[in-house]
Amino acid sequence: MSGVISERRVVSTILLVLTAGLVLSTFGLQFADLGGAFSPMFFPRIILFILLGLAVANVVIDGLAATDGQPIELLPVVIIGAAFMGYVLLLIPLGYFISSTLVGVVILVALGLRNPVQVLGVPLAASVGLVALFNHVLKMPLPTSPFFWWI
Amino acid sequence: MLQSLPEAMGLIFTFEGMMVLTLGTMLGIILGALPGIGSTVAVAMILPFTLTMSQAPGILLLLAIYAGSVYGGSISAILINTPGTPQSAATCFDGYPMAQRGEAGKALGWATIASVIGGLTSAVVLIFAAPQLAAFALNFGPIETFTLILLGLTCIVSVSEGSLIKGLIAGFIGLFLSTVGGDPITGEARFTFGNFQLIAGFNLLAVVIGVFALSEVLTRAAASRDDAAPLVDFNGIVLPKLHEWKGRVKGLVKSVLIGNGIGILPGTGAATAAFISYAEARRSAPTRANFGKGEPDGLIASEAANNAVTGGALVPTMALGIPGDAITAVMLATLTLHGVTPGIRLMTENPVLMAAIFSGFFVINLMLLPLGMLVSRMAAPILRIKEAYMLVMITLLCTVGVYFVRGNPFDLLVMAIAGVIGFILRRQGYPMAPLVIGMVLGPTLEISLRQGLIITDGSFTAFFVGHPIAGVLAVAAVGMLLLPVFRALRPAKAA
Repeated sequence: MSGVISERRVVSTILLVLTAGLVLSTFGLQFADLGGAFSPMFFPRIILFILLGLAVANVVIDGLAATDGQPIELLPVVIIGAAFMGYVLLLIPLGYFISSTLVGVVILVALGLRNPVQVLGVPLAASVGLVALFNHVLKMPLPTSPFFWWI
Repeated sequence: MLQSLPEAMGLIFTFEGMMVLTLGTMLGIILGALPGIGSTVAVAMILPFTLTMSQAPGILLLLAIYAGSVYGGSISAILINTPGTPQSAATCFDGYPMAQRGEAGKALGWATIASVIGGLTSAVVLIFAAPQLAAFALNFGPIETFTLILLGLTCIVSVSEGSLIKGLIAGFIGLFLSTVGGDPITGEARFTFGNFQLIAGFNLLAVVIGVFALSEVLTRAAASRDDAAPLVDFNGIVLPKLHEWKGRVKGLVKSVLIGNGIGILPGTGAATAAFISYAEARRSAPTRANFGKGEPDGLIASEAANNAVTGGALVPTMALGIPGDAITAVMLATLTLHGVTPGIRLMTENPVLMAAIFSGFFVINLMLLPLGMLVSRMAAPILRIKEAYMLVMITLLCTVGVYFVRGNPFDLLVMAIAGVIGFILRRQGYPMAPLVIGMVLGPTLEISLRQGLIITDGSFTAFFVGHPIAGVLAVAAVGMLLLPVFRALRPAKAA
């Protein structure tokens, strides 16, 4: 089974399904449509139909090709990927300083650093440096932290 | 205007004038080198500071930031494989492989010289050919623009490493992403799925930063070890020797001409010029087999073209009031804020100011060489830090860069999602450059195609009747597409 389901085949199948879904979504919409090149869907439909053709060919090619390349260290990627998402969602409520320090700590820990001085010191220094540069030198305020608004 | 040159020199060669040009160029290089900041953000960032200055120094400061940042983008593209500006994306293809094999100094040397030559010629174009070139650009209607963009899109073929079909898929994903948001003709929302944030479309910079920089962070994390070596070894710029230019001058001249030509066409910009120039070099250079593996000709093509755009892009901006790209739109706003009305009467009404701007722009491009060497030297210690620290810095800087474009947290979410998707796609062999090319060229392609079809009553064949420029460009585009097929057939025939 694992010989049939490979990472590459899963990705190409997802691309095909998503493209097909997008093509279908272009039909049956209510627009003030004057037809032809005036239609808002005129250009996207051309692009999506070509993309659909390419995605079908891609699934066939990947289906015929030998399966998968090298394995990767998945854990740091998952942690850092999740940290990115958390970071951008927390940036406004927590401010740039706190959220940047937190994401920096998570990245360093995920990459295997264990020295607490390095793990805390580097993100802290980077965040303070950037806040100082943008808030005080360039006068372009970054999102303010509710606890460190005075920085 | 030439009669006003001595008076204009009096404005430039003063202590204040030289300080403005020197500090502006240095700051431009630094801001351009910071991943995610980019030329538009750099100029927009400095614009408020110029309002306290008089006309000539204020405008010259922004020109220095503009030219410096376009060059500065190549520093991070070469040293950390993250284009500081979208127009430096093509520089990564050969710059970073050179840096990886220990030739970072040399790669920056080629990029610096190519940028200086490109910038200087663009300044000459701006000074002497502005009226004529502006008049020629007026011949470009929607039909000509459409065929020009088609020609630009053919470079997807040449930047699709490994799998052409995956490159094309990435390119068409980019074209699709460019259609998300308000329809440019009717204003109807497309593919927003009820999310009002998407009405303005995807922020190009957020996607570029996501798929290049953040996905690079994830890629490195996937293979990272704590004892990993520094990213690249760099000890300052090594300028290429005279004999090393043998066989490369023709490519340089071609890239400069492409940059100059594209620069004056409204709505195209430096990123388009860099990709078209790179694709042309990859098609015609004798060293084309080495492209993508660290070939100086690839670097020269990208860097000479993107810097050659700078002066050209100012031609329609100043002479006609039509900005060539986002950055010149900011420059247009700057001129207006300084009480200068761009248009056909600009040169007759403000001869001294125009002479000062044009000659100042030439000086700025001359300064790129010594200041580029100095600033990139300053970057060396930063690049010797641990890879993990660098990844943290890249993440934080990318966030700042994307946030400042529109101050919209939604762009940050787009960046993060683009980073994760970019990582997954890159891992499966989908190149990311075509995606960016599609996103950059998509809006112009769509609007020019639809406008063209509206003009011709929906007849696509009427596109080429009475439009010789469009015909030539379309033939060139078809030729570029068929070239790989001919190349593939040739060895088979020989065998």
